[in-house]
Amino acid sequence: MSGLPADEAIELIRQLARGDRAAFGRLYDHYATLVFTFALRMLRDRAAAEDLLQEVFLQIWREASNYNSERGSPEAWIITMTRSRGIDRLRSIRRRDRSFVPMEGRSGKTHDAPVESGAAASEARVTVNSALARLPESQRKVIELAYFDGLSQTEIAEQINEPLGTVKTRIRTALQRLRELVGAKAF
Amino acid sequence: MNHEEWLERAEIYAVGALDGDELRDFEAHLSDGCALCEERLRESREALAEAAMALEPAVPPARVKTELLRRIGGTADAKEERSRFSWSWPVGIGALAAAGLVIALTWNLIATQKRLDETQRELAAMRSQVAQNEEVKEFLSDPQVRSIILTGVPPSAGAKAVLLWNSTSRKGMLLTIGLPQTSAEKAYELWGLAGSEAVPAGVFTVNEQGRVVFRLPTLPESKPFDKFAVTLEPMGGVPKATGPVVLVGSL
Repeated sequence: MSGLPADEAIELIRQLARGDRAAFGRLYDHYATLVFTFALRMLRDRAAAEDLLQEVFLQIWREASNYNSERGSPEAWIITMTRSRGIDRLRSIRRRDRSFVPMEGRSGKTHDAPVESGAAASEARVTVNSALARLPESQRKVIELAYFDGLSQTEIAEQINEPLGTVKTRIRTALQRLRELVGAKAF
Repeated sequence: MNHEEWLERAEIYAVGALDGDELRDFEAHLSDGCALCEERLRESREALAEAAMALEPAVPPARVKTELLRRIGGTADAKEERSRFSWSWPVGIGALAAAGLVIALTWNLIATQKRLDETQRELAAMRSQVAQNEEVKEFLSDPQVRSIILTGVPPSAGAKAVLLWNSTSRKGMLLTIGLPQTSAEKAYELWGLAGSEAVPAGVFTVNEQGRVVFRLPTLPESKPFDKFAVTLEPMGGVPKATGPVVLVGSL
């Protein structure tokens, strides 16, 4: 899944900020799959992921003028926005369902990929050769629990039954490795 | 707290896992304008976005785009709706009154939310300031602590700093004012000087007023320091000083 070249994406966002509906359509065509995939991975429900996709693109439409390319790529901006809104939804779901335990905790097993049911199970997995898949399992797991499942460091420590310090170290080591892998890919 | 610890928090913040006091303190630190942490946050978010892009793609149904385009084209559609709709007076007046009420309530809600956000930001900054003051007070209460004045060297002649230094525990705290903010690629580095030997004592950046309260990492054993200096170096610091001296002071 790859986006537009950065310059083109930034130009589209500028046009969007001026109210260009055609630019909005083009931006949607390039990034809707990314947003929907991410939303599906977080929420594990197609209908909820569709709603989130709509919310995110409406926010992009309203806030395009706030985008600053010096603070990050269009992909990072869009993903951060998606994650932030996704977390709001996850928290709301958890408030409704106090018995929520991430799927891995329910089974007591460790899975290599996110656990979903039905059609969603075949989607939103991490591709084998991705930077994330190349992390050691213990590091990948803490990143997935935090980034996709929205758990805090304290909740992760409880979830995987490890000291908080270990969780922090794993997150930092994983991110350091991800930055290296992504940096290496850039050359 | 040395700056490396802030950078570590930036990574945990980027992945969304920072919580409790650490989250509150880090957000206050960010709002002070730390360029190093902003940069680490940016790099981490880019790496995470790459990870997200590596998920096996799931294609959304076409109806979502249709619905979105309809919603962002709401103004044009509304005009068409109005031209087709003929209002009776009572309905029109009632609808106008209801619309006015909704606008007033929405405006009020937005204004309240804005005030709440501002108050929360101010509160976080004040808490951070109080925590810093407490930290300085606690450090000063140790009779072993000496204060050393560091003065600015041109072109930073207006800058000043106080270093609170405990030569027994080899811990210290630096308070600056008037240092120019660095670019994203640069940071200030503090050095303890023992004759010709310079020991790196930590990397920091300053806020818009040139201020920072920087707690030094515990320094390794060395000959007693007779001077301290601050140089401008590449972000992350260097083991041997390469940049210009901006502050210097003797014991």
